Amino acid sequence: MCSACGFPAAPGHWTEAGAPTAHDRLRSRMRRAEVLQAVLPFYGLKAYGGGEVPGIQISALSGGESILRDLDEVWALAEKMSGGPVDPLDPRFIGDE
Amino acid sequence: MNAAEGRIRLTALGGYLGSGKTTWLRHQLHEGRLRGAHVIVNEAAETPVDDALLGQSSTLSVLAGGCVCCAARQDLIDLLRRISDERSKVEGGAARLEKIVLETSGLADPGPIVEAIRSDPVLVYHVVVSEVIVAVDALHSLSQLRGEPLGRRQIEVADRLIVTKVDQVAQGPLQTLLATLSCLNPGAGLSGAVRGVDSPLPDFSGAEPERLPETDQLSPKAPVTPVRLHLDDSIDWTAFTVWLSALLHARGDDIVRVKGVVRTPTGRLLLQTVRKVVQTPEILPEQGDMREDNMIVVIGRGYKAEHLRRSLQYFARRSY
Repeated sequence: MCSACGFPAAPGHWTEAGAPTAHDRLRSRMRRAEVLQAVLPFYGLKAYGGGEVPGIQISALSGGESILRDLDEVWALAEKMSGGPVDPLDPRFIGDE
Repeated sequence: MNAAEGRIRLTALGGYLGSGKTTWLRHQLHEGRLRGAHVIVNEAAETPVDDALLGQSSTLSVLAGGCVCCAARQDLIDLLRRISDERSKVEGGAARLEKIVLETSGLADPGPIVEAIRSDPVLVYHVVVSEVIVAVDALHSLSQLRGEPLGRRQIEVADRLIVTKVDQVAQGPLQTLLATLSCLNPGAGLSGAVRGVDSPLPDFSGAEPERLPETDQLSPKAPVTPVRLHLDDSIDWTAFTVWLSALLHARGDDIVRVKGVVRTPTGRLLLQTVRKVVQTPEILPEQGDMREDNMIVVIGRGYKAEHLRRSLQYFARRSY
């Protein structure tokens, strides 16, 4: 549990397995936000990096912010907001547009 | 006289992609139930992963790059002939190989494999197929049975069905699955397992089996094929996980299986998914054959290999 925001840490999500130390975890969180930021704006969302808050900070371009536990929640939120899933094989991500 | 006398007893272990064949086999090896057996692992992809998990077997052969029920059938026959030949040369009194376990690929139909072994003019004197065991995933198999003729063929040829992951489903759906299995193959023994360990099955005498569509009424789907993805230095683990988690969320019904060993700051991680479910990555020791590290196999349908590669590169770009 984060003592500042009360957000429970969710140990064991498979995507966090590759970062053994606190330093690795911080770097991984910032990198995750960077990758998300390359994708989510197409779906009306914005991702924030930084180590202040555990979880993944997402804001909607139309306003409103969420702190999500893991990537599964990010994709579920993006699907809900845009009416369809974030498909990595969408033409815009494979240069077929 | 026992029909198997003097011949090697072969157990064929089948089951759909991700049904838990290797997990079950690994536990049997750990428990010493297959002591002295020669284990043959077949993988449809050219990247063998399961052999990394089965290090405990005394002798292990890997047939990678094709299914032994079709493309690689002759490779299997040649391997079994070689094993038989070597066994024939063992001097009297010395211990001879008595058992072979063949783990088929998840895309294999065990029927033609058994038929090929039984009808080979040489092997018929050396090898007897003693049992066909098929692993059935309690979580996914009902949906597979509705749409995949292969899953049904695998179940129909089994002597024994091992229902895996029984701790991950509620009692009601599990009873429906058991009733459906016993309807598809009434003669097969049924047992349950959780991570390879025996687990009791509930009584399903009052349960209704699922009414499955006739296999000839199923809409034809593109065949499931393996794609190899090399994670070179430009692809970091974090970008890869963002990409894969999105891919599974969007297309988990078409991406049947993903597996491979990825090098990360934590070490060598064994990554395995079954449809949308990702198993917690396991840390593998820094030993054994590491040539296939960072080679991921994606098995599924409905996309082009080149599109997977380009999409992954897009996600892993450093400057946008």
